[in-house]
Order: sequence, then C-alpha cells, then structure tokens
Amino acid sequence: MLISLNWLKKYVNIKISDEDLVRLIGARLVEVEGVIDESTKYNNIYVVRVEKAEKIPETHLTLCQINSGESELIQVVCGAPNVREGMLAAWIAPGAIVPASVHEDAPFVIGKRKMLGKYESNGMLAGADELDFGDDHSGIVEINPDIAKPGDLLADVFELNDKILEIENKSLTHRPDTFGIIGFAREVAGILNQKFVENNFDVNKNIDNNIKIEIDNNICGRYSAVVLKKHGEMKKKYLSWQDTILAKSGMRPVEPIVDATNYLMLLTGQPLHAFDYDKFLVVGGSDKPKINVRLARSGEKLVLLDDKEVELNENDIVICSNDTPVALAGAMGGKSTAIDENTRNIIIESATFSLYNLRKTQMAHGIFSEAITRFTKGQPAYQTLAVAEQCAGMLSDGFEIAAEADEYPTPAKENVVKISANEINSLLGTNYTETAIKTTLENVGFKVTGNFEIEAPKWRTDIHIKEDIIEEIGRLNGYDNINPTLPKHGTAEPNKALKLKSEIRDTMRRFGANEVLTYSFVSEKLLEKSGLDAKNSYKIVNSISPELQLVRQSIVPSLLDKAFVNQKIPYNEFALYEINKVYQKEWGMDSENVPVEKSRMGMVLAERKTVGTAYYKAKYFVERLLAELNIKPEFKPLSVNAPEAKPFEKKRAAEIYAGEDLIGIVGEFKNKVRNNFKLAEFLAGFELDFDKLVELAKPTREVNIVSEKEKRDLTVATNKTYKELTEKIKKILAENNVEAEISPVSIYQPDNSDVKNISVHLEFAEKIDDQLMAKLEAI
Amino acid sequence: MQELTKLKDELKKINAEYAGIKDVPAEKRGEFGRVLNEKKNAILAKIAEAEEALNDAAVEPIDITAPCGPNEKLPNVYSTFEGSSHPLMAELDRVTSIYQMMGFDVVESRQLDDEFHMFDSLNFAKEHPARDGYDTFRTEEGLIPPAHTSTMQHRVLKMYKHNLDEGKDIAVVVPGRVYRNEDVDATHEHTFYQCEGVYVSKTCTMGDMLGILREFFEKYYEQKLNIRTQPGYFPFTEPSLEFMIEKPKSLGGKKGDFLEMLGCGMIHPNVLKMAGIDPTEYHGFAWGGGIDRLVMLRYGLKDVRNFEAGNLNFLKEF
Repeated sequence: MLISLNWLKKYVNIKISDEDLVRLIGARLVEVEGVIDESTKYNNIYVVRVEKAEKIPETHLTLCQINSGESELIQVVCGAPNVREGMLAAWIAPGAIVPASVHEDAPFVIGKRKMLGKYESNGMLAGADELDFGDDHSGIVEINPDIAKPGDLLADVFELNDKILEIENKSLTHRPDTFGIIGFAREVAGILNQKFVENNFDVNKNIDNNIKIEIDNNICGRYSAVVLKKHGEMKKKYLSWQDTILAKSGMRPVEPIVDATNYLMLLTGQPLHAFDYDKFLVVGGSDKPKINVRLARSGEKLVLLDDKEVELNENDIVICSNDTPVALAGAMGGKSTAIDENTRNIIIESATFSLYNLRKTQMAHGIFSEAITRFTKGQPAYQTLAVAEQCAGMLSDGFEIAAEADEYPTPAKENVVKISANEINSLLGTNYTETAIKTTLENVGFKVTGNFEIEAPKWRTDIHIKEDIIEEIGRLNGYDNINPTLPKHGTAEPNKALKLKSEIRDTMRRFGANEVLTYSFVSEKLLEKSGLDAKNSYKIVNSISPELQLVRQSIVPSLLDKAFVNQKIPYNEFALYEINKVYQKEWGMDSENVPVEKSRMGMVLAERKTVGTAYYKAKYFVERLLAELNIKPEFKPLSVNAPEAKPFEKKRAAEIYAGEDLIGIVGEFKNKVRNNFKLAEFLAGFELDFDKLVELAKPTREVNIVSEKEKRDLTVATNKTYKELTEKIKKILAENNVEAEISPVSIYQPDNSDVKNISVHLEFAEKIDDQLMAKLEAI
Repeated sequence: MQELTKLKDELKKINAEYAGIKDVPAEKRGEFGRVLNEKKNAILAKIAEAEEALNDAAVEPIDITAPCGPNEKLPNVYSTFEGSSHPLMAELDRVTSIYQMMGFDVVESRQLDDEFHMFDSLNFAKEHPARDGYDTFRTEEGLIPPAHTSTMQHRVLKMYKHNLDEGKDIAVVVPGRVYRNEDVDATHEHTFYQCEGVYVSKTCTMGDMLGILREFFEKYYEQKLNIRTQPGYFPFTEPSLEFMIEKPKSLGGKKGDFLEMLGCGMIHPNVLKMAGIDPTEYHGFAWGGGIDRLVMLRYGLKDVRNFEAGNLNFLKEF
C-alpha cells in the first residue's frame, strides 16, 4: 500500500519532521518498507497558457507560443491533437526531467531543439503519461483555469512535492480499517497523541423497493446499491488533484466513474463497483434490478472485464442479475455489464463479502487487485451505504440518485471490553495512569466509561478481548517506551541430545570430516539411485520442483549426491556427515498422531585415487567416534532389510551393535549405487541411529591408562576372522589371568592362499613368561 | 552365466521375429507389435536382473570384523586441518547455550507436523487468510513441514505445564529447521533454521520480553546494543511486535541502521487455554526468529544458498 504524506496531512495535523513521522509510524503502527521522495520530481514544470497555436502544414505538429508568466512568449512545438489556443497546459521547461522517467537509470532531460530543421522548440507540453499520472498518451493535460494561472509551478497547484510511504501490508492483516487514508490518518493522530477529527459522511437512506437484493447465507455481510441516472454530460476533463492522488497511490486514472470508485476506496478502504444499469436489466431479463448474491455453481462461466473467461467454482461468490452471474464478487466485474461511454444509468455496488471465500477466489483465479486485498482483510460493514452515496456525490455533474437499496441481514454488534488500568500495566510492564489510558483510546474513537468499560468504534472489528485493548495502549504510546527488564528465573536443564551433537561435531572435526546440511526433501530419482522405495516417503503436493518432492527416509542418499559434487571439484578425499531428521511412512504415527520422527547421523567418505577397502576406513571412523561416546561397538553381518540398508553392499557392510541394540550400518555401497552416483571406487559410509546414541552414550569415559610392563608382537597364520582370532587370544589370556590390550598391526595374505598372517600388538599390564607367548603363538 | 547366455539368445530370437511383421495383415500389425514389445521388455528386465546378480556375485566378501584388508595399511582418520563444522549448526549451538545460560531449557523442533500444531493450536481461524502468509508445503496426507518453529508452542506449553503447578516458570527455546514454499535466491531459502522462545509465569511483562531479547542479542554479539520494535501481526500473540537491533558497529553497522531480528509478542490467551493453562492466572510471551540471518550477519556472508549446497569450498572455511 502506498500512502501520500500530503494527503495524510489533510486529515491529521502533523508538526514533527517527516523523518520523525516515518520513524513513529514504523514504531507504532506498521512497517514502512520505504519512502519514495517526490519532492523534486516536478521541478521546473509550470502551468502555461497556449496563446497561439498554428498547425505546421503537412505534419501533425502545432507551433505554439506559450505564456509561462514571463513577459515574453516561448515557442514550443507540440504533437498532441488537443492543443488549442487559450488552454492551460503543463510545460516541462528545458533542463527539467520528464517525471515519468525519474526512476529510470537514465532520466530523460528535456532540452531545446530544432524541429523539422527550422522550428525551435523549448521544452515540451506534457501529457498525463509523461507526468506519471497514468497511461493516457492521447493528448496533453488541460488544467482548470479556476485553480491555476500561467507561471504557477505545477507542483504547487497539485501538491506534488510529496513523500510516498511504502507500507508492508502483512502486519495490518487484522486492521482493514487502515486500508483507507482516513483510517490510516486516525492511527497517525493516535500515535501523535491527538484526538482524531472524524469525517462523518451523511447518509440519506432514501431506501426504496425499486431494487431487490437477495443474499445467500453468510457470504455477504452487507450489500448496498445506489442507482444513478444520467442528467447531463460530465464536465470537461481537467487534470484533477484526485487524478494525482490515484497515481501516487499506485493506481491509474482512466475515466470518471471508475476513478471515483477507486478514489473512494483509497479514501475509506471500502471498494466499490459500478455496473451499467441497463445492461444489468437486459442480462437478467427483468424490468427492475434483482441483485442476487450467491455461490457460483460448478461449471458456470463468466467473462470478466479484462476479457478473460473464468470457470467458476463452488466457492466463488458471484453477483447475479436475477440468476445470471455478472461479477466475481470482490475480485472483478463482468464484461456483460461493464460501463462505457454510452452508459446512461449506473448501479454503484458497495458491499462486504466473506473473506474466507474471497481468499480462495483470489488463489483460484490469481486476481490480486487493490479491492480484493482490502476485502480479504474483512472490511467492516458500517459504511457501505455512506460510501456509495459519496460516490454519487462525486459524479453529481452528470448523474443523480434514482434509487437506493441496502441489505444488511445481521448488523454488527458493539464490541465492549472491560479491563482495568492494572491489568494493562501488569502485562506491559508500564505505569500508565487511568487518564492517559482513556485519552489514548478516545483519540482513535473508542468510547471509555468508568474504569474501564470500553466500546470499540464500529470500524474496529478486531477488538474482542482484553489483550486487544492492551495492544492499543502499548502500541499507540510506543512499545519503545516500555522499560526492558529481566525476570527472576531458575536454571535450565541440560539437553542430552544437543550436548551429544555438539560433542560429535567436535570429534568429527578433529577427525577431518566435514559437516554438511542437505535438504529434507529429495527427488524420486535420488531414492531410486540409492535403491529406496519412493512409496515409503511422504510426498509434498506443492513442491517447488520434482527435485524436492519427497521427504527423505535416510541421510546417506543425500550425502552420496553431495559426494559427487565435491569429487567433481575435485577434492581427492573427504568425509561428509550430517545429523538430521528422517521420516518413513512405514513407521506410522506417534502418540500425537504425527509421523514418527527419527534422528540419524549419516556419513559418506569418498576418495578418488585410492585403492583398497573403503569399508575399513568407514568402520574406523565409527569405532573412533563411538569410543568418544564410550560406546563399544560390535560388527555383525548385514542382514536387516530396512530402507536405510538398501544402498549398502551386504558382502562388504556390517550392522553395528552396542550390546543388544542395533545402532547403525556401516559399509561400502552396491556397485550399482556407486555407479548411479558416478562416484570413484573407494567409497563407504555409515548411518547411525542418533536417538540410540543419545540413549547409550555415557557422559564420562573411563580412561584406563595401562601402566604397561611388557610389549609383545604376535603373528598368527589363520583362516579365521580377525574377531575370532582376538576372541581366542582373549580367552587364553583370561585362562592365564593376564590382562592385555590388543591392537592390530597388519594382515598379510600371500597370493593364492586362504591363510592370513594376522599380526597384533599386545601390551601387558604385568611381566609375562615365554610360556604364555608360546601358547598364544600356537593358536 | 548360462542363464544369461540363454536369455540373450531369447532376445535375439525376439528381435528376429520383428521381421515377420511384413507378413501380418495391416490391421493386425499393431497388436503384433504390442505383444512382441511386451515379450522383449520382459526379457530385457530379466537380463538386467541376471546381470546385476552376476555383478553382485562377483563382489568379494570381506572380513567385516577385521581392522583392515589383507596386505592393506591400517586405516586412519583425516587430518584435523581438513575438518569443519557447519556454520549454522555451530551458531545454533552458541544460540542455545546463551539461552541455557539465561535459564531456558531447549527442545528441538519437528520437521514434519500437522495443521493442528502449525495453525489451529496457534489461534489461526480455520481457512483464515493469515494462513497464506506462511507459504507452507503440504504432503498428500495434509501434513506440513513446519513453516515456523511456533509449531512447537502448544507442545512445549503442555510439556512444561507442570512447572507452573510446581510454582516455577516455563522458559524454553526451540531451535529447528523450517520450510517455506518460495523461490530460492541469494537472500531466500525454502529451507532454513529458526529459534523459538516461550516464557510463561504469573507476573511476566512485555518489559521482561524486551529485556530477555536484548540480553540475548547483547550476549550473542558480545556488545551493548540499541533495540527498537514495531507493531506486527501474528494470530498467536497479542500484542505482536517485530524486534529490531541496531546493526553492531563491529559488523559495519551505521547509526540508525536497524535490522529486523524476530517476531514476538504476548502469548494469545486462546493459545494458553488450548494448552490447558489458565490465561486469567498466567501470561507469557513468545518469540521466533531466523538463525541463518544471524550467522550471515556475523560472518558477512552474502549468499544463503551456500548453507545447503554441501560444497566443500564453502564448508572448509568453517
């Protein structure tokens, strides 16, 4: 929404600087996204009288002598068809910038030039489009001699030295009353601690029965209609102050009836629509207007003012003549009843509609007009008839009221809130007096009795509870005037999961691994590449792209994807890991009836030029990491069939156990998976159940510094697994009541042999005899 | 292997059968082709399966209990200098530890939630246009990857209600990942992080809220800060505010250069009521703000897209 400060100042007395005003509006009413400074936009543009106008033969041009208030006339060549002697026009003097181009990269500066080789032309006579008052390029603007004389600055005549506030609408979602300059000004008065002077429109209420209005239940709060009959031609169209207001508010002046409805919407916040009365009767096939407000029927179609045919749905509200739709309520009028230059009689509609329906209409048909923006905030119903009558007044040059109708099924009740000064102050942390509170509220139209019974004004449909009043007091007096304090409060409980994550992050960083974050949404293709079933993923129906359509079931596939990115850069070796949440449909719902959520830690390590078994490196990472968490892992053959196990190659992967608990999977990936992701041979990873880690991790690690007495190396030729061998060594040590720490040294396997020579290093806590070593060597 | 040879022979035969189409009457050619294609596709699928089985059979099993492969070096981790922590996660840690110092418990936010927690429990009227402001994603089941961490408010209020019964306050922060359906550019991501705060007691005031928030940001940026507010609108707080800080000098801020950091307000009585807390006896305040922005400001980062790109060129800087 755009707010002209000059217009605002007509309704409220502002004594502070514009800068301070903008700051106060920002602090106490709404976010001001920007301020467009137009204070120099109309520099060097003057009102002039065309004293002489001679057609230049064989051209469309006119050679004009203009009076700019100086003694000497100035020559200007003008191409507009409507230039004529005696008219007042707007003259852009040489050296001035064409207003419509001020925001362009290279603003257009008007000069002095020779036309057709011989006619000197100084500056230009401007059309509405060049002055940035609309798109009209049919001729130059004409200025009413009653309001200006030659030599006046155009900016002075029309108050164009202005600043325009760009307002962020979102934070006024609950304040439909501020979507008109009057409502906005009322708030500004309030924040300046002034009593706002209300502009009460008189209402004639000459309601007659010439128009019948029917409303289907609850879709239209109130429908007022005023019929206007043409009694004469509208006066000659001069550039008006009202045109400039429309332009400054981001709308374009087009023709008098539409301009009047738009102007009143900007003034009051109440959108209006004008139907051609005679067309309305023809379409409905009745001799008196029968306005029917109902929901559209499925399959009904309507051609709108912009010539587009829309297919209506059962949520759309339509205005019907008799039973034929003639407008999409709140959004756009229909073509069949559009006003045109031959219009003799008009129906002015001023109504409110269900914001819920209009919100859907807005989405379904993609209509985002100034009117529907206001309707979807829930316009109050109190002023519909008054605004329609105001519109009649603005068109009184050519039209007079012929009939009026007003259907208001359930008039709004007064909103009364009871609250005490103490309740207000104790929530805000303030000490406002009863008098101050009363004044604050009365300034913006509340009625306050006792201490306090507060009646909200009829435009404040958002006031229902005590907190609404507290907001008014806090906001209008400035939240910045509230003194920040700190409550007395106890200590926090440590969060085990969070602490563990932090520890893992430190550990992994020490291990040279890199933490990544990847999207929670993945593509069907990514799952397919990893061997996972897309059907087990929750599917986003309004995803940004197919790449982001499915909620991920596992972390590893996303990491494989990122491994490719980094291998391509190229990084020769890296380990990417992520701790995040995953969902699988097969897990079902939890006790709150939302999907079961699990936290997982995934890691993928990839090397480009390495030959060897990547499994062991991934396993080593797991072992080192779990050692930090004081968890002792055991590696068992991979047999689970869970989705997260799918990418792993069963022959080269293992389930990780901590005691009885399966806590994850580590291993290399299937050849197919590796090829799908275009990754180099040396590739492995793991996925750990983070929730289990939280459960099993022990806060303090027993540090067992062995005061080693004797070290021995042992090599055994065996076709057993490493684990079987070490178990056997442990057994023999136990039988001999000896303790030792066993660590691997090497595994040697000659070509064409099943037998491996496994060497381990033993550190004994005591002296041992050679007999024990002999026993061990005999394994 | 034999199986595969047999299948390939079959495929050859089928391919040869295509030549027979010229002997089929024109009106039956469509049907002929269809049947043949079906046969061919079935064989192709079987071949793929057999080839994969063959590939898998060729994979050498390993001793999963061993420390390394035969004749291989013992593995090691990478050099510490290559390691990095994600800046968002590292900063989120800092954020939560500051709140913990200030006495706030931490509960993590969910990443897939429902309409009830995302909107209904937060006093959004059914079908209200205010719901549109959140550009939510939805699953086929109508579930919502939350668009704000406020999706956890109802839960933490219920979870910590016992504090009130025990004469203590509720003080919780909720960090988490949130999602908005919007186009991605240097300053917008559809996936980002927020941190929510909830405080409920018998006596807390809006002044307390402003005090806590100022305290947090001063601790986070390690300096005194000027704060400012502007009115906002959220259905779940009343009154609602936007909270701003003057950009710290150390980060290149000038006087009067205010940054919107978060939305906040006094918890709407309906939200308390729905969580079983009596709003006539207790009141509270809540806030929520983006983490990404904090981090970008702190490190002078210009492109939010780096956070989720998983590119080591960026990540190794941290």
